Amino acid sequence: MNPLIFTTILMTVLLGTMIVMMSSHWLMIWIGFEMNLLAIIPILMKKYNPRTMEASTKYFLTQATASMLLMMAIIINLMHSGQWTITKVFNPTASIIMTSALAMKLGLTPFHFWVPEVTQGISLTSGLILLTWQKLAPMSILYQISPSINLNILLTMAVLSILVGGWGGLNQTQLRKIMAYSSIAHMGWMTAVLVYSPTLTMLNMLIYIMMTLTMFMLFIQSSSTTTLSLSHTWNKTPLTTTLILITLLSMGGLPPLSGFMPKWMIIQELTKNSSIILPTLMAIMALLNLYFYMRLTYSTSLTMFPSTNNMKMKWQFETKQITLLPPLIVMSSLLLPLTPMLSILD
Amino acid sequence: MLKIIIPTIMLMPLTWLSKKNMIWINTTTYSLLISLISLSLLNQPSNNSLNFSLMFFSDPLSAPLLVLTTWLLPLMLMASQHHLSKEPLIRKKLYITMLTMLQTFLIMTFTATELISFYILFEATLVPTLIIITRWGNQTERLNAGLYFLFYTLMGSLPLLVALISIQNLTGSLNFLLIQYWNQALPDSWSNIFLWLACMMAFMVKMPLYGLHLWLPKAHVEAPIAGSMVLAAILLKLGGYGMLRITTMLNPQTSFMAYPFLMLSLWGMIMTSSICLRQTDLKSLIAYSSVSHMALVIVAVLIQTPWSYMGATALMIAHGLTSSMLFCLANSNYERTHSRTMILARGLQTLLPLMAAWWLLASLTNLALPPSINLIGELFVVMSSFSWSNITIILMGANITITALYSLYMLITTQRGKYTHHINNIKPSFTRENALMALHMTPLLLLSLNPKIILGFTY
Repeated sequence: MNPLIFTTILMTVLLGTMIVMMSSHWLMIWIGFEMNLLAIIPILMKKYNPRTMEASTKYFLTQATASMLLMMAIIINLMHSGQWTITKVFNPTASIIMTSALAMKLGLTPFHFWVPEVTQGISLTSGLILLTWQKLAPMSILYQISPSINLNILLTMAVLSILVGGWGGLNQTQLRKIMAYSSIAHMGWMTAVLVYSPTLTMLNMLIYIMMTLTMFMLFIQSSSTTTLSLSHTWNKTPLTTTLILITLLSMGGLPPLSGFMPKWMIIQELTKNSSIILPTLMAIMALLNLYFYMRLTYSTSLTMFPSTNNMKMKWQFETKQITLLPPLIVMSSLLLPLTPMLSILD
Repeated sequence: MLKIIIPTIMLMPLTWLSKKNMIWINTTTYSLLISLISLSLLNQPSNNSLNFSLMFFSDPLSAPLLVLTTWLLPLMLMASQHHLSKEPLIRKKLYITMLTMLQTFLIMTFTATELISFYILFEATLVPTLIIITRWGNQTERLNAGLYFLFYTLMGSLPLLVALISIQNLTGSLNFLLIQYWNQALPDSWSNIFLWLACMMAFMVKMPLYGLHLWLPKAHVEAPIAGSMVLAAILLKLGGYGMLRITTMLNPQTSFMAYPFLMLSLWGMIMTSSICLRQTDLKSLIAYSSVSHMALVIVAVLIQTPWSYMGATALMIAHGLTSSMLFCLANSNYERTHSRTMILARGLQTLLPLMAAWWLLASLTNLALPPSINLIGELFVVMSSFSWSNITIILMGANITITALYSLYMLITTQRGKYTHHINNIKPSFTRENALMALHMTPLLLLSLNPKIILGFTY
């Protein structure tokens, strides 16, 4: 794509999200969402083939439906409160419709069906933008309306998302689908604590974005989109295998890596609010996620030459240099000792 | 405490910056020095704990376990030299780094004051162990073994996290030193029963309890020698240590909640001892014997009498040294014949007489011969369980008999009789191996002269 056009489109995506995050008028938020959606379609379709077209179409349809539902919730809110300001949504109908619309945008169960298929159809870089940047805007709206969200619906969606994210990823070998299911599960964790402490949602979002960025960049560096091709990285850059191991274990939420921090904080917040069975269930279902991360680590880093691996040399034009990778890796694995610093967020 | 932790962490730069011919020498020497530092902790002047800071303390229970941990690192390094000799230098350094990381986490776990910190480090010990088992094990089954190990332990310990946080909400602090004095009886309710279960299941899986022990034979058999040593000697004792710490908070539910686990342990120790009699795989036999000994520790901890606590602590230390030594002996067999099958390498006494002496000593301590500390531990446990209920003496007596049976079976099969004809060209024992066995045996024998230091905090 022409670099100037690509920059313009990318800036529009950024501008759309910025507008959503910084507006105080509901109409501007809807405009921001639409700007974001329309601008990201060309990015999703950078490579022009039927699979990408299918993925972009699915993305467009679901997101447009969600935007329309959001618009309806805004209008109902306008009808009942008479103003367009972003505050908590007082009318329960509007609140439920808005929550469902934002859940559709985020990919929470039962609106999660588009996430694996869209992520699979697009390139790794576009998938990266889809799973990290696109989550910021809906999450910021959820943050702002969090005092008025119906707890039952939100918690049901969260728990079901964690379950679906864990279970659905078990049968996958395509890396992008694995990342998609991991995103569904993490969104579930984030929304579960939204009503109790939105700060922890933001913390989880931050650490999730760091870890997902790291994972995608490691995949991009080895240009691998399947488990099989990922298992060939020992051949090209053996250090990457160790980094993939550390980052995957961090995503699975194992101490002493930083992926444990959001889970620990969320369990702590939920327990303080006297729900004990819920965090136990959530933590145990996160083990499903850990299982397919472990499977990835087994084929990539923990079984190396000489072993029963298909040892094909991979053709590669030149070594991609990803400058942001080392600091990201450090941040996504070593942040746990900084947990006491979270008290500055209060 | 930093005088132990910082040198252990610095062992990692030591391995990465050492030259090729110096890595083993450097790491073994410095880890021996660190273990000498930790010996000073055994001087516990009073019944109260030695408090080093807000975050680290050591008391008569954790000091012997800490000394065992630091003592074991040079032994693990010595044992691993042979099977890593053909690997490239970077992988040797990675292996030693994993062992050192595991050591650091273990030291911090045994000295942690805050229970959440204990939990995080308890979980953190899983990652290096998993990497050691899965990456450096020898057979394909090691993948399954790693998964079983990780998921059994995690399933048990996630409820523990929730329970610890809810206890922190109720009592305001999880600092162990404070909780000892704040202890009140837990009111009787269903949710407190689940709290009891949540607290204990993590350690039950780790011990392991008989019904949840499936991960242990897999993990022990598939791990390389250092992995087996650290698993048998220390990681199982983490479960015992955790149980001893957390049962102080869980009265009076323990009096009736403990019954199912007591039954499982009492029956399980006989079952696993009997399975040992039918094992063909040498490492598997030692693994099941670990389950059997740990079942005794579970019985002791759940009975909660002063004598049983003494027996549990002594048994943990004694079993750590004995089991680790047995795994080293099994590994010396494995390195020569590349098979773990017992009957393939028989009559070793004729070929390797000095190693046969070590085999004899190890088997004798395994079956708890007087006056070794194994006997002291088992005797205290048997006596206290007899006072708890007279009928247990039948099961305990049967267990001691069967333990003697399989230990002698293992000894006689591998050492006595005519040697198998295909092993007449095995290499003689290395000095390194003899040193390894001597370093295991010497503390064991010396401790029988003054067992007071391993008898724990109820002495």
